[in-house]
Amino acid sequence: MALRSSLGAQIGGRLSRSALVRQVALLALLIVTAGFWIFFSVAASGFTSDFNLFSLLRFAAIQITIGFAQMVALSIGDMNLAVGAIGGATGMFAGWAMQTLGLPPEVAVLFALAVGLLLGFGNALLITWTRINSFIVTLATASLITGAMLILTHARPFSELPGSFTSFSEMETAGLPISPLVLVMLAVAAALFFLYRNLSLGREMLAVGANRQAARMSGLSVDRVVLLTHGLSGALAATAGLMAIAADHTASPSLGSDWLLASFVSPAIGGTLLSGGLVSVPGTVLGGILLATISNGLLLVNIDNFWITVFLGVVLLLAVGLDRLTRAAGGVVS
Amino acid sequence: MSAEPSALAREVRLEVSGIRKQFPGVVALDNVSLRLRAGEIHALLGENGAGKSTLIKILTGVYQPDEGEIRLDGAQVRFASPRSALAAGISVVHQERNLIPQFTVAENILLERLPTRGLQLVDHAAINRLAKPWIDMVSLEAAPTKPVSELSVAQMQLVEIAKALSLQARILLMDEPTAAITPHEVGYLFRILDDLRRRNVALVFVSHKLEEVFELCDRVTVLRDGRNASADLEVASVDQDRLVTYMIGRAEVISRLPPKPDPGEAVLEVKGLTTDPRDRGISLELRKGEVLGIYGLVGAGRSRLAKALVGEIKMTGGEVRIRGVKARIKGFREALERHRIGYVSEDRKQEGLILLHSVRSNTSITIWRRLRSFGQWIRRAAEDAAILPSLRQLDVRSHSLSQSVGTLSGGNQQKVSIAKWLAAKAEILIIDEPTVGIDIKTKAALHELIWDLAANGKSVLLISSDMPEVIRLSDRILVMRNHAIVGEMPNTHEYEEMSESIMAQLS
Amino acid sequence: MPRLRGVAPGLALGLLVIDLMGMLVLSVVTPSFLSTYNLFVTGRDLSILLLVALAQMVVLSLGQMNLSIGSIGGLVAIIESGLMVRYGWPVPIALVAGLLLGIVCGVINGVLVDWTKINSFVLTLATSYVFAGINLGITHATPFYHIPSEISSFGQARVGPFPLMAAVTVVLTVLLAGFLYQVVLGRQLLAVGGNQLAARLSGLPVRRAVVTAHAISGFLAAVAGTLLMAQLGQGQPTIGATWVLPSFAGPIIGGAALSGGSAPVIGTVLAMVLISLIDDGLVLVNADPFWVQFLIGALILGAVVLGRTRLGDIMTFLLGARRASRQELSR
Repeated sequence: MALRSSLGAQIGGRLSRSALVRQVALLALLIVTAGFWIFFSVAASGFTSDFNLFSLLRFAAIQITIGFAQMVALSIGDMNLAVGAIGGATGMFAGWAMQTLGLPPEVAVLFALAVGLLLGFGNALLITWTRINSFIVTLATASLITGAMLILTHARPFSELPGSFTSFSEMETAGLPISPLVLVMLAVAAALFFLYRNLSLGREMLAVGANRQAARMSGLSVDRVVLLTHGLSGALAATAGLMAIAADHTASPSLGSDWLLASFVSPAIGGTLLSGGLVSVPGTVLGGILLATISNGLLLVNIDNFWITVFLGVVLLLAVGLDRLTRAAGGVVS
Repeated sequence: MSAEPSALAREVRLEVSGIRKQFPGVVALDNVSLRLRAGEIHALLGENGAGKSTLIKILTGVYQPDEGEIRLDGAQVRFASPRSALAAGISVVHQERNLIPQFTVAENILLERLPTRGLQLVDHAAINRLAKPWIDMVSLEAAPTKPVSELSVAQMQLVEIAKALSLQARILLMDEPTAAITPHEVGYLFRILDDLRRRNVALVFVSHKLEEVFELCDRVTVLRDGRNASADLEVASVDQDRLVTYMIGRAEVISRLPPKPDPGEAVLEVKGLTTDPRDRGISLELRKGEVLGIYGLVGAGRSRLAKALVGEIKMTGGEVRIRGVKARIKGFREALERHRIGYVSEDRKQEGLILLHSVRSNTSITIWRRLRSFGQWIRRAAEDAAILPSLRQLDVRSHSLSQSVGTLSGGNQQKVSIAKWLAAKAEILIIDEPTVGIDIKTKAALHELIWDLAANGKSVLLISSDMPEVIRLSDRILVMRNHAIVGEMPNTHEYEEMSESIMAQLS
Repeated sequence: MPRLRGVAPGLALGLLVIDLMGMLVLSVVTPSFLSTYNLFVTGRDLSILLLVALAQMVVLSLGQMNLSIGSIGGLVAIIESGLMVRYGWPVPIALVAGLLLGIVCGVINGVLVDWTKINSFVLTLATSYVFAGINLGITHATPFYHIPSEISSFGQARVGPFPLMAAVTVVLTVLLAGFLYQVVLGRQLLAVGGNQLAARLSGLPVRRAVVTAHAISGFLAAVAGTLLMAQLGQGQPTIGATWVLPSFAGPIIGGAALSGGSAPVIGTVLAMVLISLIDDGLVLVNADPFWVQFLIGALILGAVVLGRTRLGDIMTFLLGARRASRQELSR
């Protein structure tokens, strides 16, 4: 009995502190986002117009999907610097398939996703075969992929995409100013949420990310997890690329070149640990919405574009600072 | 405490007394004293977790003691940082190499005071010239300009000693210097240390190997569970048995465990297993419902044996039969899924658990593959149903299954790292040092749990350097020494009798 | 003569052989390779990109990264040209102000990394956007044209086939090598990169080493930005936008480890020469310029894979065979 009480005393409060901190952080993110919405509704005329909300949410959907592609790699403690390169290359591939080959959009989309998956597998194979750091591997493959794309396309955009494809991004959903791209993002988010919560693979990914050695010594096949994770990251980057070309009505060779920061910011704000083992799908969604809201709102109130860039950098700094604080509060030493 | 016949024979250089150091949840050192004299080599002994490393870190300013005092040449001192201890002439040669691998021997020796010729320009010629006498003093046969990364482990150790000497170290702490070097190199090292003794340096020699203590040292202090088991004995006045007794201690007041059914048929048979040229072939037999204790001091090859059985280290010879069938185990997954062997690592924070994750995930990680329905889906209800019996059986105390394992007490963490193998229905459990870093009460509870597992038909290979633990918990005891089984005995659970026969095997 | 530590002799020799072969092939295949103009243009690109690569190498030698090299270079070029064009500052003062700004940016990176302990990759990614944003705020993406002619003519000046700006790069490279191998603080910096714990326990000034490395990185980025401004003859806001890849390619191909401790100056120089040769060769044979990006990626992968495999050992063995056998004999 003495044993029971002494252990009980050591364990402490009802909810573990790290979990509590994370809940509070997510709530804070929600409140901050809502605060910005209220602020811009009042301060920026046109913020709440259907047109603006439509483009804001569509932009957010793309940013969030880019963030997901990075979040997945971060979940196993890796990085994928080729998210932008894969997104750009698969976007261009889809443009080529639709415009030059005249394939139906559905087929082109499937092929593009497959290309993204394969490029991700390529990254994973290089990482697991050579045991080289994912940073160097994906830095190099990003350059290879973008280079190959530019060589093959001669850096010419595909701007005559079929109307059935581009109009998809312009449709409204049930009369609301919501692009179907937002629904695509939400479907992806739901799938990822389910993956990390309920599927064996997702839980294996988190285990590998938090402690690769312990995961291996519990009988998990780490190489298999790395392979599937980078494949998924590639497919998500391709999804973001497809969403972007649908929204832009054109597949441009510069697509993806400025995704690096965006890919890290949304997950980092949302509470995904950069060192692996802990992700937050709702957090990434909220992080992306917050970013899109601020970019959009600042433009509307005529604040210079440069502030938005500065702001993104500062937000990322604050997010990782908070990330460290969260870990310190959770008593977890990396 | 023991008598000190010629305590004042030599000048006392450093004296620590009444040292207490507490970390969250554990008292690492309690009322510890140590007395070092110029021109003597003082052995500091103790099993893993006895507090040797903590004491060394206090002497070198890495930690500050909560209580107690340190006197250097009679004057009370306080080391706020490693630098201040260095300045006072106390140097340490750590187990992990504290050298810059890319730098040369000479640069490493003079690292924090590189000689310059004006304008902060490094004078490479002077570095090599100034380092040379120290290199010669430790008889290191390497050019001052050789990068440290190209040296052998023993040579790196000599560089560290040379570095300490160059810092005018009057007190030199050697933390397990012989752990990673060959016998030939040990002989060489001993000549160097003997030479330093004649130069009136006060030396501390930390080791697990008693024969080295008798060969080299003048005095000995033994730590056990963070306290002095003995202090400042003259080596000449003790024998090996007595030192072993000090190190492993008397059994605490232990209750006898209740009787359990006799072990059944053999489930694991090992014949002539080798993993290393040093191995002499290990053979053993583990029966159903049995706790087979493997006792040996650190470095006897116990963990290598365990890791070979789960395929983590490659076997170079011999054969393993599981339930009568010859097996070749290639890894943890195969060990578990085909042979139902689970391995509870001695390093639960690095190898056993994912501290960031929940009790649920840590327990079910071994059965995710089995729980999958519709390809990948793990139903939470099924998951919890699969792990709860194991968690209950081991009496894991957590507020919910979602609590992160990192916030549990050490004992509960250890229970989770056993529960995950029970959940996976492992029949053979290899448990490596189950109670390291766990307080005595929880230790007793863990023993009962392991005993219950065996009573319920699991077979347990218990690897431990804790003699009371082995005697309390095993049905049979194998004694390991120098990578071989040197003795096998049925356990009577009588502490006096068993400890004597185990010690007879060790010396 | 102290041996240049941190240089794997086999690797450097291998790169040198490849470089020389590349030059030989290019001069045979395309005679215009040896034309004064081509050597001048190639040398000028090399002068700038080598500084970019060294800016990364210094931070890598510490076991950290700097993703803001390009945005520091861009910001410095913009500030310098803005001060000269819009505010009419004298050239030397504007340049000094710009270079100081580069150092300040580096110090900000270093202090933040040391203070927050945030992963340097993420931290400098974030500051790179801050620096780039300020650049954008000042220029609104329009260049400062008509910079003083002293600057733009320096960008076009040459001695024979050699660009004058190469002198700046050569001097800085030698100074950097001298700093890392000969100056106490440089050695301390490499010691921190090699084994931070040991450096700390030996009482080395870890913080000063971290901040110094980032400050040097910022300074080299600033010089590179200034030289590119001189070459272009205008303060382009896009200066530095494409530097991330070459900044890593040079040190990594040259033998630097992400984990720190090595500062392969010679390897980085030779790797950047190789990249310039590839760049120039592709221009000379009228190939698609996008091949450059592709080939740099392949080169990075090839170099690290080679470093990790038996093939690498074999190459080192063949190239360094003489040396090794001499060592064996002397034992």
